[in-house]
Amino acid sequence: MAIGSGKNPLDLVFSSLTAIASFSVIFFILGILYVLISESLPAIERFGVIKFLTSTDWDPVKESFGALTNIYGTILTTFLSLLIAIPVAVGIAIFVTEIAPDFLKGPIGIAIELLAAIPSIIYGMWGLFTLSPIMSSHIEPLLKRIFGPIPLVGLLFQGTPMGIDILTASVILSIMIIPFTASISRDSFNLTPSVVKESAYAIGATKWEVIKNIVIPYSKLGVFGGIVLSLGRALGETMAIAFVLGNNHRITTSLFDAAATITVTLANEFAEADKDIYLSALFYLAMVLFIMSFVTLALAKYFLLKAERKYSR
Amino acid sequence: MTREQRRKAEGGLALTLSTLAALMGLFWLVFILGDVLLHGVKSLNWSLFMNDPAPPGVEGGGLRNAFVGQLMITLSATLIGVPIGVLGGTFLAEYARGSRIARIISILSDIMVSVPSIVIGTFIYAILVKPAGHFNGWAGAVALSIIMIPVVLRTTEDMLSLVPWTVREAAFALGAPYYKVITQVVYRGAATGILTGILLSIARVSGETAPLLFTSFNNSFFSYNMNQPVASLTVTIFQYAMGPYDNWHEQAWAAAFVITIFILLLTIAGRLIIKWRYR
Amino acid sequence: MAGGTEIEVKGLDFYYAGNVHALKKINLTVLRNSVTALIGPSGCGKTTLLRCFNRMHDLYPKNRYEGEILFQGDNILSAGTDLINLRSRIGMVFQKPTPFPMSIFDNIAYGLKLKGIKKRTDLSERIEKALRHAALWDEVRDKLNASAYDLSGGQQQRLVIARALAVNPEVLLFDEPTSALDPISTAKIEDLFEGLKRDITIIIVTHNMQQAARISDSTGFLMLGELIEFGHTDRIFTAPAEKLTEDYITGRFG
Repeated sequence: MAIGSGKNPLDLVFSSLTAIASFSVIFFILGILYVLISESLPAIERFGVIKFLTSTDWDPVKESFGALTNIYGTILTTFLSLLIAIPVAVGIAIFVTEIAPDFLKGPIGIAIELLAAIPSIIYGMWGLFTLSPIMSSHIEPLLKRIFGPIPLVGLLFQGTPMGIDILTASVILSIMIIPFTASISRDSFNLTPSVVKESAYAIGATKWEVIKNIVIPYSKLGVFGGIVLSLGRALGETMAIAFVLGNNHRITTSLFDAAATITVTLANEFAEADKDIYLSALFYLAMVLFIMSFVTLALAKYFLLKAERKYSR
Repeated sequence: MTREQRRKAEGGLALTLSTLAALMGLFWLVFILGDVLLHGVKSLNWSLFMNDPAPPGVEGGGLRNAFVGQLMITLSATLIGVPIGVLGGTFLAEYARGSRIARIISILSDIMVSVPSIVIGTFIYAILVKPAGHFNGWAGAVALSIIMIPVVLRTTEDMLSLVPWTVREAAFALGAPYYKVITQVVYRGAATGILTGILLSIARVSGETAPLLFTSFNNSFFSYNMNQPVASLTVTIFQYAMGPYDNWHEQAWAAAFVITIFILLLTIAGRLIIKWRYR
Repeated sequence: MAGGTEIEVKGLDFYYAGNVHALKKINLTVLRNSVTALIGPSGCGKTTLLRCFNRMHDLYPKNRYEGEILFQGDNILSAGTDLINLRSRIGMVFQKPTPFPMSIFDNIAYGLKLKGIKKRTDLSERIEKALRHAALWDEVRDKLNASAYDLSGGQQQRLVIARALAVNPEVLLFDEPTSALDPISTAKIEDLFEGLKRDITIIIVTHNMQQAARISDSTGFLMLGELIEFGHTDRIFTAPAEKLTEDYITGRFG
């Protein structure tokens, strides 16, 4: 839709400015990728790709670096937090769209948004001072008593519960992504045409049956997109877990052990890296994270766009 | 139990569970906010705003340096990020409306909004800290502005798209060139929406910590100099909370209190503006 | 052909949230195994009245009924009415086709499963019967597992009718079921009614007077929330008692 922008010189200036500004987004993405790659080149040359991704070494003294412990921690905390967050978030979305009386819908919607607005450093600090002691003295010993003796499952609950561990970090992370997942699920649920819901009621379905069989299948693509988006966010979350994850470069099976994620390693070690190869390895980690989250977020966007197109038919 | 009773019982159970989920969400909000308010109010005092930090382990002192530093960094980020964001959004919604490139940039911006902020910190470290040879406030401001731009850009695009096309046609009919139509007519129609987007983006970046850790870093002394390391509330919270001293912990709570209140007020203000404008 | 009284509406008032008085003192009797048409200009309350019979208004807060609707002698507006049960006895078909996001088979099986029918053979048998009833069987017999969204609009509407029929309702409510369809699909659906009323009672809202004249036994004319006239369709269309009815039927407004 070109509207005579060539005729007026000032219009040409203005339109060029806007074009430059909007292309800055592309510039940033390419720039980040370029800079991260070129900064990690020394580490890439020294540790390779496959070897870096599969090595569990992280030893600044011996200058031997591998990403696996960090990737493991990132994926494990993300997975656990989604496991906790998804049912709660979908429950909230169901409550807000289908159950809550009108006078409650507004306040709960606002509460969810406020929860989403609280910065991650607050979650992290609260986790350290408040949640972590509760976890170590009440919740984790309880879990250990219940699940510890069960073969296989018990492996997840070994060791002394210290509260600074994978489990606590995952709980905080889940609290952080609940509002986000809930609000996307809510928006998707709201897209179910009310006449389709009515026709299910009209053959005698209960409210729950309408939700389970009509609303959720109808909006599953959008909800799924929302979950993948939350996944992408959880992968890159730093401050919420930096306080309570410890910084332990080992692969462990117990949820009561400290661990490291890519983000936490960067937060703790980047400013202190004293050798070039150390810094380069950290850039390499950042690049891995950037690619992981970019791909996840792009997938999420793809599902959300697909969902949007389906509804607008 | 008859079949119908069973169906109703199942429904009742499921609906109770989702009500519980909602209550749980509310519970966390109250728990976290309550905790921050309680500890924060207890630790709040005038010297926090008036004094600079005491040496580690020494009682007293304040966070004046961090308050001022946070303001400088956030303000600079806003001054860089808002114009670029608004102009960029204008391109997508006006000059490139409906084009393929507008669609691509719009999608990329949505992705950029959620890209890990710590990665942006490493990027800025490489281009603004390493060449300068030391951490500096500008680097922090630029890092935050990169987080801000896609947020403002997308809101602007959406808000401009809401202004009916006929409004532009009416202005064209009076012989106005496009840039005047945009700046004098379209912006006016979308002003509250864009303002809300800006407020929410300020709220978003003023809580950011990760991108400041190795850009603006931290500074225990008071300084207006953006070419040197600049203290910020968020980085200070991280450092103090992880530190060994009780009075550091108290000051971290107080700083957390101030920043939380600031962000919640901004968020609520943004909501109210939208509600008031688009009711 | 028409039997005894199926539904009797006595002094019904209905208020939407915010106290909008949408129906005023409605009285009418619907006979068993008959087709009753409700006509009137848009906004007259005919759809509102229809949605009282299965208490669809209860899905939204603050709607209020006064008066009585007797369904086989029981007042369905009483507080103790089991809505789930009521709605499985009084079905409804909407203006636009509302297939569920499932296969053709599962769409019809849905209501049956709610009633506890799970065996595949039982389901298949009843689904075939319902589809034959709705004159859709021949068109979909080979693609029962295809998505319901793949059907044309007219087919979707007949699918929805089959879905409603499958649970053996006693009454079926139609809310302008053909207004979103082309003439051929409309004719197919109109043709169904003669066969359907052998088993069930039908109440249909329509804005199309020819349709009302063609398919109904009784007709009610509503305006501004009041039932202006109610009686045998032949009489209403040939010798209306009320001036308003005559004006509407002859096309002087509407």
